Amino acid sequence: MTIAHDGVREDAGSAEVRMTPTVQTMTMATALNRALADAIEADPDVVVFGEDVGALGGVFRITDGLTERYGEDRCFDTPLAESGIVGTAVGMAMNGMRPVVELQFDAFALPAFDQVVSHVAKLGNRTRGALRMPMVIRIPTGGGIGGVEHHCDSSEAYYAHTPGLTVVCPSTPQDAYSLLRAAIASADPVIFLEPKKLYWTKGEVDTSIVAEIGSARIAREGTDVTLLSYGSSVASCLEAAEIAAAEGRSVQVIDVRTLTPIDDATITAAVRATGRAVVVAEAPGYASVASEIQSRVFERCFEFLEAPVRKVTGFDTPFAPPKFEHWYLPDADRVLDAIDTLHWLDEHGEES
Amino acid sequence: MTLRDASETAVRDASAGAAAATKVFRLPDLGEGLTEAGLVQWLVQVGDTIRTDQPIAEVETAKSVVELPSPYAGVVVALHGEPGETIDVGAPVLEVADPDAPAARFLSERSAVRRILSERSETKGDALAQDPTKDAVVPASGGDVEDAAGAPAAAPTADGVEKEAYRAEERAGSGSGNVLIGYGTAESAGSGRRRARRTAGHPLGSLSEDAAQPRPRRNAAPEEIPARGQGGPAGRPSPSEPAPAPVVERAKRDETQHPAESPTPAPVRGPIAVRSPLVRRLARDLGVDVRCITPTGSDGAVTRADVLRAAVDQAVDRMSLRTIRSPANASGAHSPALSLAGRDTPSAPAGIGVSRPVSSESVDGLAVFARERMSPLRKAASARLTRSRSEIPEATVWVDVDVTELWTLRAAMAPEGGRAPSLTALVARFVLIALAEHPLLASRLSDDASEILLFDGVNLGVAADTARGLLVPVIPRAHELTVDGLDAALRELAATARAGSMPPERLRGSTFTLNNYGGLGVDGSAAIINHPDVAILGIGRMIERPWVVDGAIVARRIAQLSLVFDHRVCDGGHAASFLRRVRELLEHPARAFGRVR
Amino acid sequence: MRQTMSATPHDGDPRDLLPRDEPVRLIDETGVAHADDRYPMPADDLLGRAYRGLVEGRRINDQANALVRQGRLAVYPSSHGQEACQIAASLVLGAQDWLFPTYRDSVAVIARGVSPADAMVLLKGDWHSGYDPHEHGVAPQTTPLATQLLHAVGFAQAAKHRGEDTVVLAMCGDGSTSEGDFHEALNFAAVFQVPVVFFVQNNQFAISVPLSRQTAAPSLAHKAIGYGMPGQRVDGNDVAALLAVLGEAVDRARAGGGPTLVEAHTYRMQAHTNADDDTRYRERAEVQAWVAKDPLTRLRAHLTARGLLDEAHEQELADGAETIAAALRAALNIDTDLDPEDLFRFVRSTRSPQLQEQWHQLRDELERADTVAEGGTR
Repeated sequence: MTIAHDGVREDAGSAEVRMTPTVQTMTMATALNRALADAIEADPDVVVFGEDVGALGGVFRITDGLTERYGEDRCFDTPLAESGIVGTAVGMAMNGMRPVVELQFDAFALPAFDQVVSHVAKLGNRTRGALRMPMVIRIPTGGGIGGVEHHCDSSEAYYAHTPGLTVVCPSTPQDAYSLLRAAIASADPVIFLEPKKLYWTKGEVDTSIVAEIGSARIAREGTDVTLLSYGSSVASCLEAAEIAAAEGRSVQVIDVRTLTPIDDATITAAVRATGRAVVVAEAPGYASVASEIQSRVFERCFEFLEAPVRKVTGFDTPFAPPKFEHWYLPDADRVLDAIDTLHWLDEHGEES
Repeated sequence: MTLRDASETAVRDASAGAAAATKVFRLPDLGEGLTEAGLVQWLVQVGDTIRTDQPIAEVETAKSVVELPSPYAGVVVALHGEPGETIDVGAPVLEVADPDAPAARFLSERSAVRRILSERSETKGDALAQDPTKDAVVPASGGDVEDAAGAPAAAPTADGVEKEAYRAEERAGSGSGNVLIGYGTAESAGSGRRRARRTAGHPLGSLSEDAAQPRPRRNAAPEEIPARGQGGPAGRPSPSEPAPAPVVERAKRDETQHPAESPTPAPVRGPIAVRSPLVRRLARDLGVDVRCITPTGSDGAVTRADVLRAAVDQAVDRMSLRTIRSPANASGAHSPALSLAGRDTPSAPAGIGVSRPVSSESVDGLAVFARERMSPLRKAASARLTRSRSEIPEATVWVDVDVTELWTLRAAMAPEGGRAPSLTALVARFVLIALAEHPLLASRLSDDASEILLFDGVNLGVAADTARGLLVPVIPRAHELTVDGLDAALRELAATARAGSMPPERLRGSTFTLNNYGGLGVDGSAAIINHPDVAILGIGRMIERPWVVDGAIVARRIAQLSLVFDHRVCDGGHAASFLRRVRELLEHPARAFGRVR
Repeated sequence: MRQTMSATPHDGDPRDLLPRDEPVRLIDETGVAHADDRYPMPADDLLGRAYRGLVEGRRINDQANALVRQGRLAVYPSSHGQEACQIAASLVLGAQDWLFPTYRDSVAVIARGVSPADAMVLLKGDWHSGYDPHEHGVAPQTTPLATQLLHAVGFAQAAKHRGEDTVVLAMCGDGSTSEGDFHEALNFAAVFQVPVVFFVQNNQFAISVPLSRQTAAPSLAHKAIGYGMPGQRVDGNDVAALLAVLGEAVDRARAGGGPTLVEAHTYRMQAHTNADDDTRYRERAEVQAWVAKDPLTRLRAHLTARGLLDEAHEQELADGAETIAAALRAALNIDTDLDPEDLFRFVRSTRSPQLQEQWHQLRDELERADTVAEGGTR
């Protein structure tokens, strides 16, 4: 994939491309804001719109200052109509623009679901490539902020299940920046899920790094078991890995990053090397992306497995009310519990 | 018949009547699985010139009245059927002639029909539904709009249609016919596979470059890693081989799994591909390291068979290593073996004293590596054995015994909280019963061998293989003991012999010897009679063999009895009789219970 | 900087936004012309082109119907009786403009320049769409209702953003006006003053559900005022009135005046599709009554009366239409060579590893497929 970046074309054959480094510590929200600004500057066809993204700068301030800096032509508010937002974005994409729309919360993206599934996902295929949909739909996702009903859902499964869509979910400010730039540059439609719990987490961001959509990232090396995760669950995995290290176990953590098309190669190689895997994600487990990853690992790594592939997910209930949230969300302990079940003693010939 | 068949026959008819170029339109399947339709009225007459797709008739189906558009243009030369009659599907409806058609046009029409015949899609064919919808008010195709200006003729049939229409699913046939949004389902045809079986494995989870070569061990140094194809059957580097070549470079990745972009580096550590968790467990249970196995699975995984073969290899290697490792394995380092209770510890050659390693002496080309002095016991035993063989004209008779019942019964003899009597004790008891009926075999010859001394009982000698050598301690007046008594006596004897504290006087006075060498792992023996006895009875392993019982081959527990006897005191018949009796008692122990005290 | 994405509220008397009490009509059923203060009769040559379009459109509709009955098309939602709407929608647009049709607007699609064979690919089942939208400025036809209205708005928005001359004509039916996307599209269009003409072909039925069940409004055109855009109603079988009203709306949009809602009163003369049984929900008499209002009849009468149409010319038009129909027949009688790999080619701009794996699986199946000797029981 070749990416035009600041007027310089680089062959992105490797996952990361280095140019003049611009490294700063910033929150994920700022990283996203920066990515939008840089994209607007880099490509005149990029236009950002949605509800409250203009003067307010977005309910999470992700689009803060964009209208001020670039004008309403590049970043503007729409009427309160999600289907309208996505439907008009489709029309703009048909006419050569690169819309980057914001849908305010997971659940509020649902009125646009018909437009997404019937047209965003299908127009490229319908017209044999004549009409591509180079657009990005940004959606704040997930819980962990004590939000009320409808504001904490995880909807990635609906989109991942729809052929034609790319679904991306970053877990660090760096990935938020780099993957959003890549998503905007992509010729295909991307559902960009932003874990709202992580908006205020800080990290180093090098804006010269261009991430490759469809590639997973090894967040922590390890030899005994592979944790596969994305979004806000990655932090729980890293925490579990740290605790496990003190207990004498070497845990590898992989941030899947792109839910579809998924990086089968990296995941398969990793689990074949450790022989054990646990998939960790916040969304309800039944018929989830976590289930898909679990199933793929079983299929491709069966002969190398020392133990079943486990899944640590949210319960199959509507997302918990704020006061129940801490019982609901998978945490490091739940991850460690799952790791404990992976037939460790059996390795020395004793029944576990 | 379907539209395709109709076209087929149309082509045939057309070619048959090539000179006249008459085309026959046959009634197609109207898509409802019906075999006929009612002709309501003709919309054309013979002699009319019609266009393609012009409706030429109205026919009635179960649902409603539909128009039939003609697939052919030309002049109508024949109409088949009267209004009110039934037309079968496939029967001619009308014939159209095109007398001034050039041959080329006819041929192009025919080839168009041929193309219809070569349809590949299954969704066409029987799903070519005739439109069941009424359309009577629409003017004829071709935009003959004037008709519409007030002609009611097209309308009437609508009123005659029953309001209660059939639903599509109620009709005959398994296809749905045309549905609102598409061609609909086809008639199901045939059963069984439509594709040949796949020969290769499942396309996913290809293990090619990962497991086709023997995997390096975790943390293995590069020089330990065998190159592909080298190494022994188990693929492991044996200490005696020279260091093998370094590991072969990782094979090119399969493009289906890793297209375009950067390949992920190959893991050089970690688990080996094994067919299933069960095979992995099997390997673990057998103590086989799967990392050392050359896999033979078609996808590169280690299979169950690979594990089992490796286990056998490993066991064989271990055995030979053990043998190689201890050439001087007889230096009294072994625990005393006792054949009384059938233990199977391999016995060392007994009675060997201190060995002096000798250098440089050789006899007949073989280097002497040790000289061992005979112990006094061994010398004494040698003397007696030599005398026995030189004086006694012995003969041997043997028989196989089915001890299955005894084996089973023995277990049932265990008292609560105690052990069952030993097999040797049981065998001894039955032997004593048989001896009571054959006292000659427990007799003695006079010193000048002119007289046979017969006794009223038996002092039973029991052969024992001890660390010091072969001993035959004696149970005096054994005929008076119960099975429990014999069992206790035998245990005491074994313990005493094991402790090495058997006094010489207990080794004398036997009148019959019992030799249970089953514990040594053999079946039969032409033993040496314990002089001055006249007979010795040996019994070997009691193992399961295929045996014929009531005409069927079954597994039975069989042992061999070997009786060596002094032929001067009796002949073969008597010896055989004794042996027969012993066998009878051993095979049907229940009968002996009356005699057992 | 240009404020193309900002909202411009409507100024002026809101009542100007209301449609007339009676649909605009310039030529009545008998072919007699009626003058109108606001909408002039189209020029003769335009009427002539329109009539040709009607003849060809009618022929295409009826040919497609026959092809369904012959199993060459899976389905055909016919616009028989609505050809005036179809032709007018195409004639009022320029080469730089775009048409966003529904699944019933095949005649309009063809009138815009898409070949009949390409237009029928969807209904034949060879692919989801048979033409490159960019070639003739025609969006693909799809089944979901009203969703394309939003696409039209976005498309027009982009054109405006770039300062282009494009006007977008977005077509939909009476049923679509009940969908949420209809509301959102008109709202967005009016708020952002985009150059879109919303053309509602009110043929009185959404499959079996009549107009009275879709709305309680006095007319569909009356909905326009709710969005702050003008609405107009037109005799949908009068191609002259349609050309005039739609033409004015297009001009207005092109001049930056924003969107218009135009409602054409017409009638769906045939069933929803060939697989629909319309006797279950409407009376023959009602259908029959509309035969007299046929768009071809009145225009033929009008042109003939004015000496603009004679029999020779009629025959020429009929022959031309027949040629088109024959070409369509010929094209659909060809069994296209379909490539199974197409299933995987266009889903994404670059094929994912997963799709490649699945293509290999299908390819392996195809290689192992038996060639069935018998052709089944057919």
